[in-house]
Amino acid sequence: MLALALETSCDDTGAAVVDSTGRVLSSIVESSIDLHRAFGGVVPELAGRAHLATVTPVVQKALDVAGLDPHDPAIDLVAATAGPGLVGSLLIGLSAAKAYALAWDKPFVGVHHLDGHLFAPLLETPEVEWPLLTLLVSGGHSMLVLQRAPGEHRVVGETIDDAAGEAYDKVARWLGLPYPGGPEIDRRASSGDPHALQLPVSMRNDSLDFSFSGLKTAVVRATERQPEVGVDDVAASFQAAVVEQLLRKVTQALEREGARSVALAGGVAANSALRHALTELGRERGVSVYLPSRAMCTDNAAMIGAAGLHRFAHEGASPLSTPARPSWTLVDR
Amino acid sequence: MNVLAIETATPVCALGLSLESGVTLSWVLDEDRRHTEVLAPGIERVLREFSLRARDLDRIVVDRGPGLFTGLRVGLATALALGAASGVEVVGVTSLEVLADGARRAGARGEVLVALDGRRGEVFYQSFALDESTSSALNEPAVARPEEVVEHCRRGGAPQWLTGDGVVRYRDVFARLEGVEIDPQTIPSLDAALELGARRTPTPVTPLYLRDADAVARFTTREGA
Ligand SMILES: [Zn+2]
Repeated sequence: MLALALETSCDDTGAAVVDSTGRVLSSIVESSIDLHRAFGGVVPELAGRAHLATVTPVVQKALDVAGLDPHDPAIDLVAATAGPGLVGSLLIGLSAAKAYALAWDKPFVGVHHLDGHLFAPLLETPEVEWPLLTLLVSGGHSMLVLQRAPGEHRVVGETIDDAAGEAYDKVARWLGLPYPGGPEIDRRASSGDPHALQLPVSMRNDSLDFSFSGLKTAVVRATERQPEVGVDDVAASFQAAVVEQLLRKVTQALEREGARSVALAGGVAANSALRHALTELGRERGVSVYLPSRAMCTDNAAMIGAAGLHRFAHEGASPLSTPARPSWTLVDR
Repeated sequence: MNVLAIETATPVCALGLSLESGVTLSWVLDEDRRHTEVLAPGIERVLREFSLRARDLDRIVVDRGPGLFTGLRVGLATALALGAASGVEVVGVTSLEVLADGARRAGARGEVLVALDGRRGEVFYQSFALDESTSSALNEPAVARPEEVVEHCRRGGAPQWLTGDGVVRYRDVFARLEGVEIDPQTIPSLDAALELGARRTPTPVTPLYLRDADAVARFTTREGA
């Protein structure tokens, strides 16, 4: 089975062709992030305009790279992200995907964006050791998900306030660093001292949930107390506190849920300190660690295609009346 | 020529179909801005009813605005993807010219001012000259407060006709124009869209927003949207 997938939940316009063995024939991503930089966050109207301008060219390119006829491609399915995300962005990919499905007379499947992120590590890992614990961290989400098999998941912990990526953006803004904050803080932290500031590690309890909103306040207070500490050192200290909290919860979840492997997913999964720390953890505890490539961590349509193929095999097609669901929650399955 | 017309730039989601056989039909799918939910199923139903596939169409006409940004993007994304998938050419018409031609079809003659509710206290507007067989634009489409539009009209010679949902929304303001008849049409005429689109030479279709993206961005950022 071959799927064409579209992903337009935030600022990236993605189209990909994947097959049910997990082979990615093409994956094209066009980002509008440069348009949003000046505003310090993704502006829905700008994202909507950019998606409309790029969606059909991106699909065209994905079909070209996969070697498929744009008017009669040998695909079996068209998948698109139906939620969660920015409604004005979701609507573009969803509307376009339905139109492609309709024109080619192929089934359509609406996909949960986080389902896609959970499939991303599987696309780059031929032999997964189940059960798998996935740490899904991005600008919009932070959660720990246990998977017994592909598509069979249970959320075992999630943030009670901000997402990890949101905390990065807030601290970056406080430090006067450009948006988006994740890559910038990561870069500055690499030459900083993680012990320069004493920051509390939130959620030192039994719960597997995260909390990041207090950390920004702690950074503000600590830098006011110690104004002599440089930006690189603040970035390193903040990043260390985030990674420590994430690692602590991953460790607790591994013990409690008996997972045999750990995977990273979501935009924050591109963070070098997190990748390094998780690799160490895997070595210490004897569990396999799957670190997807940067392109597979951030939003892309290949992961939506993989989730779409799985959904189609188990639940069949979605109706063409499928609405955009901006606040769709991930339910256990 | 088999032509499908898509209207989503206004609060209404509607389709028009004209066939080689001479049949012309239109359907209002939704009046409550649930365009994404009704548009694709509506197109599927309409095509199936006439045993057509998308590739059997000769042209897809789409209202490219001005209008409600999210709505017009749903229509454009659908039309552009349908066109790309089937190799059918896509042609854009503006909501303002479609409304003007709709007024002409309803019997209006002379100068018509079309005003669409643009939200935020403004209207999208444009004037057209209507005769028996054509409607031709007298100026460029623009956006302004209804008071400004009315003031402009009084100085430059008032139109004979008014149409569009902006006229309905700002009835009190437009009432200051004397001796003007109102064409009550609020849904753009699908017949007009089909015919205008069928006659037009295809060019790349882009949305007509009439509002600068940065200004909208600042506005939405300030509003916390
Ligand atoms: Zn994401």
